[in-house]
Amino acid sequence: MADFEIKDLRASVEGRQILKGVSLAISMGEVHAVMGPNGSGKSTLSHTLMGHPGYTVDGGSVLFKGQNVLELEPDERARLGMFLAFQYPVVVPGISMANFLRTALNSKRGYDGKDKSKQVTPKEFRSMMKSELEVLHMDDSFLPRYINDGFSGGEKKRAEILQMAMLKPEIAILDETDSGLDIDSIKFVAEAVNRMRGPELGILIITHYTRVLEFIKPDYVHVLVDGKFVLSGGPEVAERLENTGYAEWGHAEEEPKEVA
Amino acid sequence: MALTAETLDQLQGEPGWLRERRQNALAAYETLQLPSKTDEEWRRTDVSRFNAAEYSKLEHLDGLKLERPSGLPAGVILKPLREAAKDHPDLVEPRLFSLVHADRDRFAALHAAFFTGGTFLYVPDGVEFDQPVLGQHFSHAGGNSVLPHTLIVAGRGARFNYLDEYIAEDDTEAGYRSGSTEIFVGEGSQVGYVAVQKWGRNVWHFADQRAELQKDSNLRLFNVTLGGKFSKTRVEASLAGEGSNAELKAIYFASGEQFFDFHTLQDHRVGNTRSDLLFKGALQDVARTVYAGLIKIEKHAARSDAYQANRNLVLSDKAKATSIPMLEIDNNDVRCTHGATVGPVDPEHLFYLRSRGIPETTAKRMLIQGFFGDVLDRIPFEHARKLVEAELEARIG
Repeated sequence: MADFEIKDLRASVEGRQILKGVSLAISMGEVHAVMGPNGSGKSTLSHTLMGHPGYTVDGGSVLFKGQNVLELEPDERARLGMFLAFQYPVVVPGISMANFLRTALNSKRGYDGKDKSKQVTPKEFRSMMKSELEVLHMDDSFLPRYINDGFSGGEKKRAEILQMAMLKPEIAILDETDSGLDIDSIKFVAEAVNRMRGPELGILIITHYTRVLEFIKPDYVHVLVDGKFVLSGGPEVAERLENTGYAEWGHAEEEPKEVA
Repeated sequence: MALTAETLDQLQGEPGWLRERRQNALAAYETLQLPSKTDEEWRRTDVSRFNAAEYSKLEHLDGLKLERPSGLPAGVILKPLREAAKDHPDLVEPRLFSLVHADRDRFAALHAAFFTGGTFLYVPDGVEFDQPVLGQHFSHAGGNSVLPHTLIVAGRGARFNYLDEYIAEDDTEAGYRSGSTEIFVGEGSQVGYVAVQKWGRNVWHFADQRAELQKDSNLRLFNVTLGGKFSKTRVEASLAGEGSNAELKAIYFASGEQFFDFHTLQDHRVGNTRSDLLFKGALQDVARTVYAGLIKIEKHAARSDAYQANRNLVLSDKAKATSIPMLEIDNNDVRCTHGATVGPVDPEHLFYLRSRGIPETTAKRMLIQGFFGDVLDRIPFEHARKLVEAELEARIG
């Protein structure tokens, strides 16, 4: 059995069914890409997996570490080892990035304000941060700033990957992390993600475009159309999409190569 | 027993002018009607169950602890207001209740007739000091009245900070409380004033804070409202001199059955004046708040700049915040901005924090603290900022 198993997942938004039975098995060390045209259900998949309250699960299960994560709260899923890099990271005024990251790390370690031995020390925090910042070509001037406040599109996405590197998830979902990024930013992000690849991490990349897959090579590619996988296979699936687009599934206008 | 002329006999040893002023205020109180629901200011603010007669014992005229900054410069006068009325009638008599009028309404009259503890601070021309003056007003028991009044006079070019802290020894006390302040902000002076109201949860509280700003002066006033089952506060700045600048900020945190009412006034009487108001509050349980604020630009107040915002974070379905911003502009060459928001914690913000493993209660607490973050940064001096942060943290839990 795979480490992370999505079985016949069905989900709806505001009464409209979007996911119509999605199954996917991810084992540690694997990188899976889910590709699909606009409106195919990509965002619904990522949000449902993380437990966004705006999405309703209509059926199916997601098994991870012996639990059906669909029954867990979003923060429980994260503490179990899941991570979502948001397509549109929100600006949260009044909370500094440093406070946010520290609290997230402490929560993950089970520090509840009592057992100080579990608490991340300032020194530890700084050293964890340092090498990741370099890879992502960021400096620590963003730490005192409010969460994502005044960040450019590229900075927001890089900050998401930084959070991933700090929190060390076992299952990471990258939701259109490449969209809206220039080529340099994509390279920085890909380098950071590739550094994390290994037998302790399973990755699900959700994307509209093939470009990011040149830098983060997937082991498996799944094509999502109208809430269902219509094709699954190896990296050659991405190549096929690169050439023919989503036309064969009736989405001729959708170009999987990003026009810069 | 009620609050009557006989009650005034408890206040011995005051100069004749003050006694007379109290008697006039008492007469006004007896003549004035209780505000009714048809009166716009009181339409959402129910005072029908307030009975001053239940609290006719005036608590201690010494319920004040004044902390003098060390090395207070010569010429600075800092003493209990009643004492100052005796010792410095030349400074006190022309100013006391000249900004906060005793006959404005029944509650202002009651306060003016029976005010007890309180502070007088006079800072002469050109005198500056960094360490804040701390005035602590205590109530030791319920069932009585504690009615302190603060009178602050800043001379030309003076610069200083002052903190009024209203403290209950017993959070469940019932009683009648007020805490009014008059601030004379002299030409070119810079005054920081913070009032932290944390009376018990069952008291009636009425406060009038009013400042008058002379030419090129700068006032930073910060109000913190946490206590009382009923708390009504008026915060008013009268911009009387060109180039004057008033920053009026406040935070409030209402829980349980608390009801808070705020009325603010930014009165631009002359040109080239600036005012910047931000009132931010969080409400939970079945608490209710009302904010009504008026920016008034008078005819000759060209090139004035006024900003007013009231933001409410509503943490429960049963809590209710009402916000009423108002403008009255008699000059076209001005800049005025105002806005109000009432809403819950943003579910996208909450989800984002929780998606990183932060439990819901922690995430909510962070978001509430974050909501207050930008306004807390505006508390004019460190001592007050620390105090307010600690008070908030204890309440947010």
